[in-house]
Amino acid sequence: MTRLAVSAPGEKMAAVQDGGSEPEGEKEPQPELPSDGSSAPAATPASKPEEQQQQQQQTLLAVLQFLKRNKLIESVDALRREAGLADEPDEAPGSEAGGGVGGAAAGSADSADASALLSRVAGAAQSGAASAPAKGGEDQPDVSVVLSAYSQQGDPSLYQVYYSGLKKFIESVLDCHRAELSQLFYPLFVHMYLELVYNNHESEAKAFFEKFSGDQECYYQDDLRVLSGLTKKEHMKGNETLLDFRTSKFVLRISRDSYQLLKRHLQERQNNQIWNIIQEHLYIDIFDGMPRSKSQIDSMSGSLAGEARREANKAKVFYGLLKEPEIEVPLDDEDEEAENEEGKPKKKKPKKDSMGSKSKKQDPNAPQQNRIPLPELKDSDKLDKIMYMKEATKRIRLGPETLPSICFYTFLNVYQGLTAVDFTDDSSLIAGGFADSTVRVWSVTPKKLRKVKSAADLSLIDKESDDVLERIMDEKTASESKILYGHSGPVYGVSFSPDRNYLLSSSEDGTVRLWSLQTFTCLVAYKGHNYPVWDTQFSPYGYYFVSGGHDRVARLWATDHYQPLRMFAGHLGDITCTRFHPNSNYVATGSADRTIRLWDVLNGHCVRVFTGHKGPIHSLAFSPNGKYLASGSTDGRVLLWDLGHGLMIGELKGHTDTVYALKFSRDGEILASGSMDNTVRLWDAFKAFDDVETDDFTAATGHIHLPDNSQELLLGTYLTKATPVIHLHFTRRNLLLAAGSYNSQ
Amino acid sequence: MRPARPDVTSSAGLVGGEKGTTVKMASPKTLPKDAQVMIQILKDMGITEYEPRVINQMLEFTYRYVTTIIEDAKIYATHAKKSSVDADDIRLAIQCRMDQSFTSPPPRDFLLEVARQKNQTPLPLIKPYAGPRLPPDRYCLTAPNYRLKSLQKKVSSSAGRITVPRLSVGAVSSRPSTPTLGTPAVQTMGSKVGTPVSLTGQRFTVQIPSSQAPSVKTATPSTPGAVQNVLINPSLIGSKNILITTNMVSQNSSSDSGSLKRKHEDDDDYDAL
Repeated sequence: MTRLAVSAPGEKMAAVQDGGSEPEGEKEPQPELPSDGSSAPAATPASKPEEQQQQQQQTLLAVLQFLKRNKLIESVDALRREAGLADEPDEAPGSEAGGGVGGAAAGSADSADASALLSRVAGAAQSGAASAPAKGGEDQPDVSVVLSAYSQQGDPSLYQVYYSGLKKFIESVLDCHRAELSQLFYPLFVHMYLELVYNNHESEAKAFFEKFSGDQECYYQDDLRVLSGLTKKEHMKGNETLLDFRTSKFVLRISRDSYQLLKRHLQERQNNQIWNIIQEHLYIDIFDGMPRSKSQIDSMSGSLAGEARREANKAKVFYGLLKEPEIEVPLDDEDEEAENEEGKPKKKKPKKDSMGSKSKKQDPNAPQQNRIPLPELKDSDKLDKIMYMKEATKRIRLGPETLPSICFYTFLNVYQGLTAVDFTDDSSLIAGGFADSTVRVWSVTPKKLRKVKSAADLSLIDKESDDVLERIMDEKTASESKILYGHSGPVYGVSFSPDRNYLLSSSEDGTVRLWSLQTFTCLVAYKGHNYPVWDTQFSPYGYYFVSGGHDRVARLWATDHYQPLRMFAGHLGDITCTRFHPNSNYVATGSADRTIRLWDVLNGHCVRVFTGHKGPIHSLAFSPNGKYLASGSTDGRVLLWDLGHGLMIGELKGHTDTVYALKFSRDGEILASGSMDNTVRLWDAFKAFDDVETDDFTAATGHIHLPDNSQELLLGTYLTKATPVIHLHFTRRNLLLAAGSYNSQ
Repeated sequence: MRPARPDVTSSAGLVGGEKGTTVKMASPKTLPKDAQVMIQILKDMGITEYEPRVINQMLEFTYRYVTTIIEDAKIYATHAKKSSVDADDIRLAIQCRMDQSFTSPPPRDFLLEVARQKNQTPLPLIKPYAGPRLPPDRYCLTAPNYRLKSLQKKVSSSAGRITVPRLSVGAVSSRPSTPTLGTPAVQTMGSKVGTPVSLTGQRFTVQIPSSQAPSVKTATPSTPGAVQNVLINPSLIGSKNILITTNMVSQNSSSDSGSLKRKHEDDDDYDAL
C-alpha cells in the first residue's frame, strides 16, 4: 500500500514514524530496499504481470518518498535513475488523494485509475490508520503491515482458513464473550471478500462468499445480496457506498475482557492477517464493564458502519426550545386572553405554560436566542402567532383515554404516483408531489385558492381601501387546486413555509424549487445537488431550509442565497429524510446507511450518531419539547432516542412494513405512525419517555436494556382499506390528519 | 446475451389487462431466452415483485447499452487502425460511457473536505425588513421570458426587391397551401419589403434583422395598434405560402388585423391582434 506516497496524511504518518524512529532513520532505508526488492516478487506469485509491475512501481514510489523525507537525496537520485521513473507519478497520487474526484475521473488508462483509487483508498485508510499506531503505540506493526499487505494478496486460498479459524475460536469462548466477539464476523467477512475482489481473485472470492455468507446476521442480508453481485474490481468503482465502507472504519464496541481474549488469540498465531484487517479497517471502542448480551448488541447494530463511537455522542446538544416572543394582543377582542405577561399575570390561562415565559432565566438546555440568526417577526407573523395561541386554548388534551380522531385524505387516481405530501401548520392547504413532476396544492377549507392579479389589473384597484389585501386577489381564476409545473423529474419532497407564503419542492432532477403561494409560480430553483434530492424541509421559523439526497450530503440553504450555507457530509448512504429541530439549531438526517445523524447548524458538526435501525430510515419526528427524536424505517420499527444523552430509549414494534410517517401530537402526548402496511398506529409517548427518566443514565457505557413494552404503549391501530399512509399531521386542536394515495391493486 | 432486439409485444403474462399487476408469469417455456435470462438476473438480485413490463424495459436497456458500447469500441478500434475490435477497445468504450452517463456522486473524503471549508464561514446575518427574501434576480426565475414586438412605424422606401440578407430555411412554415388566404396578411415588424416580385413556386421564410435598436417593451399587452401588417398583392402568392418576417416597417400598414391569421413564426410568438 502506498502509505508513504500520499501527501497530507502521509506527512502525519511520517511524523509519527520520524518521531519514534529518528535514530533508525539511517538504517531503515537500507533494510527497506532489499526487503522491498525481495518482497515485491514474493508478494505476487499468482498475480498478473501488470499487477506485479504496478505493485513494484508503488513500492518504488513509496521508498522514494520515504528517502526524500529523510533527505537522503543521493539515494533518491540513484534509485530514480535505476528505476527510470519520471517526476510526474509522484505528483499524481498526492494530488489525487488531496483533490479527489477530478483526477480519478479523468484518468483514462485502467492502471492510472486503479492507482488513483488505490491511493485514495490508502489515503483515507491512512488517516484512520494514523490513529491506529497512536493507539497501538508501536512502529513495527506498521512496516510489517505495509509489507504483509503485499504478501497477503498472494494467499487468497488461505482466507477461508483464517476465517474458519476465527470462527472456531469464537465458538469456543465463554458464552458471555461470544455475543460480543461475534460482532466481528460481518465486517471481517465483508472486508476479506472485498480484498479478494479488489485483487482480482474472482473464484476464490466467490468460494469464500458462498461458504460464509449464510453465517451472517439476518439483518445484513440486503448488503450481502449487493455484495454477491459484485465480483470484479470494476464493479467496485461505481459503487460509492461500498468504497466508503472500505475506507471508513467499522466501529465495534467490545468490553475489555473480550478484547483481551481476542488480542491474545490473534497475536499468538503465526499469521496475523485478521489482526491486520482489524487494525486497518475496524475501530474497536473498548469499554470497561460487563460484556453485552446478544439482544443488547442486536438492538444497536445494523448500520453500515457498525455502531457509533462513544465520543461521537458526547457533544452538548441544546435541545431546549427558544423562548417565545412576547406579543401584544389588541384587547378589543371577544376572547379575554391576556398575552401580555407583564401586565396581567392573573388572567393567564393554565394551558399557557409553553407560551409564557414563566422563568425569566435562560433554560440551560436551550440555545441562545442569537446562536443562529433567525428572521425577526413581521406583523403578519405576529398575527399568526396570536391565531396560534387562540387555537391552542381550544386544543383537546390527548391521552390513553382520549385518543384523537383521524381524518384521512385519500388521493385517488394517482396510480402510485404520489411521492410527497405536506400540510400547512394551520391545516389550511395540502401540497402533493407527484411522479409526473407536478406539484399540486389544494385548499382544505372551503376557501378557494386565489392568486394575485396581473400587473395590469393591479393598477386599476383602489389602493387605499381597507380590504386591499382581498382586492389584489384575482377572483376569476379562483379554484380548489392549483398545479405547479417546473420540475423535470418526480417530486420527492414538499414543504410549506411557516408563514404560508412559500412552498418548497425537491425532485429527482437535482433541484429544489421555491414556489410562491401568492402567484403560484416558481421563484427560484436551487441547484447544488446533482443527484435526486429525496427530502426537503423549511425551518420552523422560515428562511432556512434543509435538503438531502443521493449524493450523501445534506445542505442547509437560506431562501436569499443561491448557494447552500452549510454542508453536512458524513453519511455513507443516501440521505432519505431531513428534519429541523423545533429550535431550528439542529438538523436530523436519516439515511440509507441505517444511521441517523444530528447536525449543528451553527458549525456543521455532527453531534449525534444513532444506530440501531436495520433498514433505510424514512421518517423522523422531533418531540414538541425538543428532547426526543422518533425514527421509522423499512424494518417497521419505530425507535425513540434521547438527544441530550445520545441514547436509544425505546423501541415500538408493531408495524409490518416501512414506516413512512411519524408525528407527535401538539403537546407530545401521543406519537402517531403511518406505514406502508395501510395502518396508522398511536403510541403513548408520555409513558414511553416516563419509563426512561427513572433509569440511571450514568452508566458510562450507556447500554440500556430496552423493556419490551410495545404492546402496552400501543393505544390503537387503525386500518385503511388499501391506502399506505404517507403523511401525518396534527392540527392545532389535536385532530389527526393523514394522507395517502389509494393503491388499487 | 445476444444483442437481438427483443420482441416488445410479447409481454409476459399481463393478466386481465390490468395496469400494474405484479408478477403472474406465463410459463417460462414460452418466453424468449433473453427474457428468461433477465428473469433469472432479477431473481438473483432479490427482486421478487415487479410488473411484467419491467423485463422488457430491462432488455431494451441492455440492448441499447451493449450496442452503444460496441459501436464506440468499433470507432476506437478504427481510430487505432486495428483490424478488429479487441478487449482494450471495449474497456475504453465502457470507461468513457461511465464517465459520461453513469456518473456517481463524489467520494466521501472530497465531500468532507468541501463541507469543512463551507462550514467554516459563519452564518450570514439577516437583513431586517427586506421584503421577500430571494436571491439576486439573476438567480431567480422571476424575470419575464418573453419579449414583445416592437411598435415602430417606419416608411419603407425600397422598390423592386425584397432584400434577403438572411434566409432561414428551417423556419419554413409547413402549412399546406391555402389558396384562399383572404387578405394574404403577412406579419411583419416593419420591413423594407419591396413590392411585386415573382416569388411563385417558392416557400421560404425570410428574416431581415432590424438595424434599429429594439423598441421598448410595452408593459401591457393590450395596447392597441401594435401590429404592422403588409398587404401583399395576392398575385405574388400564387398557390404557396410566403412568410416574410422582417423587422422593419413596411409601407402598407393596413387595418386588416381582424382577418389576420396567426402565423407560425420564430421570434414573434405573442402578437396582439
